Amino acid sequence: MSIDLTFIGQIVVFMTLLLLLKKFLYGPLNELMENRSAKIAEGLAAADAGKDAKAKAEAEVAEQLVEARKKAQEILAAAGKRAAEIEEEMTLKARTNATQIVEAAREEIGAEANRARQALRKEVAGLAIAAAERVIDAELDAKRHSKIIDSVVSQGFGNA
Amino acid sequence: MAQEGQSEGIPEHLQYWSYKFDDSNPFMQIHLDTMFTTILVATLLVLFSKWLGGRLTDGAPTGAQNFMESVVGFVDDTVRDNFPVHNPIIAPLALTVFVFIFLLNCLDILPAFLSGEIAGLFGIEHYRQVPTNDLNTPVAMAICVFLMVLYYEFKLKPMHFCKELLLQPFASLLLEAKNPVVKMLGVALIPLNLILKLVEELAKPLSLSFRLFGNMFAGEVIFLLISFLLLGGGVVGMTAGFFVGIGWSIFHMFIGLLQAFIFMILTVVYLSIAHQPVEH
Repeated sequence: MSIDLTFIGQIVVFMTLLLLLKKFLYGPLNELMENRSAKIAEGLAAADAGKDAKAKAEAEVAEQLVEARKKAQEILAAAGKRAAEIEEEMTLKARTNATQIVEAAREEIGAEANRARQALRKEVAGLAIAAAERVIDAELDAKRHSKIIDSVVSQGFGNA
Repeated sequence: MAQEGQSEGIPEHLQYWSYKFDDSNPFMQIHLDTMFTTILVATLLVLFSKWLGGRLTDGAPTGAQNFMESVVGFVDDTVRDNFPVHNPIIAPLALTVFVFIFLLNCLDILPAFLSGEIAGLFGIEHYRQVPTNDLNTPVAMAICVFLMVLYYEFKLKPMHFCKELLLQPFASLLLEAKNPVVKMLGVALIPLNLILKLVEELAKPLSLSFRLFGNMFAGEVIFLLISFLLLGGGVVGMTAGFFVGIGWSIFHMFIGLLQAFIFMILTVVYLSIAHQPVEH
């Protein structure tokens, strides 16, 4: 229980151990742990950044969705409007067409009736002359009496 | 019977395996058992570190690495809590002090006579297994710490430290006084200040080393007492000795851990006082 040379030896042992442990145990372990905590901090920061990016993207998606919906509605409205326009146009055209057709038909009918009337008139005149020839049993001069016959015919067919 | 065993046994078991260079000078001898045990433990510790260093991974740590990382983290936290500035040597020093002292203290759990018996096989008469029971080891470590404290005191704030050495606690106020008589009194008190301050500084390594040594030495003596109770007390004594021995072993392990921690924390605190910036 006394201080002796062991004391010197113990100082040497302790200092040597200190240097060796600093080099082989503390140094590598501390560096490792610092690296790891830096890595963890980095990872956490990256996770935060990822979360932010995700939220941003989600907001963007929602915005785009709203916009797209709006655009679709616009397109639908325009299409509806255009359809109505086309319908109206078609109706108008059809109506004009129909009127034209009806008009043409009416004109044709009128022409046809006239033509028929003329033909009838001629026929009736011939018939009347033939009938008069038979009735009066005399030969009439068609040219001399046509005026009378015509008046008879037009009287007779006045209502036709 | 136990009394007889004690009277001749305990001092017998407190002898060192020593080599004397000079019989007339008690300083000129070396405790081979202390040297051998500390070098063995230190070598094993370094080998363990090298082994661990080879399989370090910066992924999820497992096993030994996990354990050592928690020890290093604990020491780092202690140093960081106490230190005003960063000094790269403090944490390794604290780690070395803690681990080394703890391992040396742990040797106390080996049976009290085992090392002596094994040494006896090689023809060695005495062998003390726990180096912290040898005053030289705690004093050596405490002196290392003390020298580091002095080194940093002189390196970081030489003027302040010298002033403190000469003028605290009495003179600083007296020297500022206008009255020349009071001023002279202040100058006259400088030697007294120096003595008081030296005592204060020397008390640090002294208390640091004797705390560890006293605890471990007392523990060893109690182990020897228990062992003599075991050997000499018949059936009752043996049964009692067995349980008391187990109890004391557990308690002594706790003391060993506690003393290692106290040595470490005081080392850090003394050094942090030396690093404390000067207040004006």
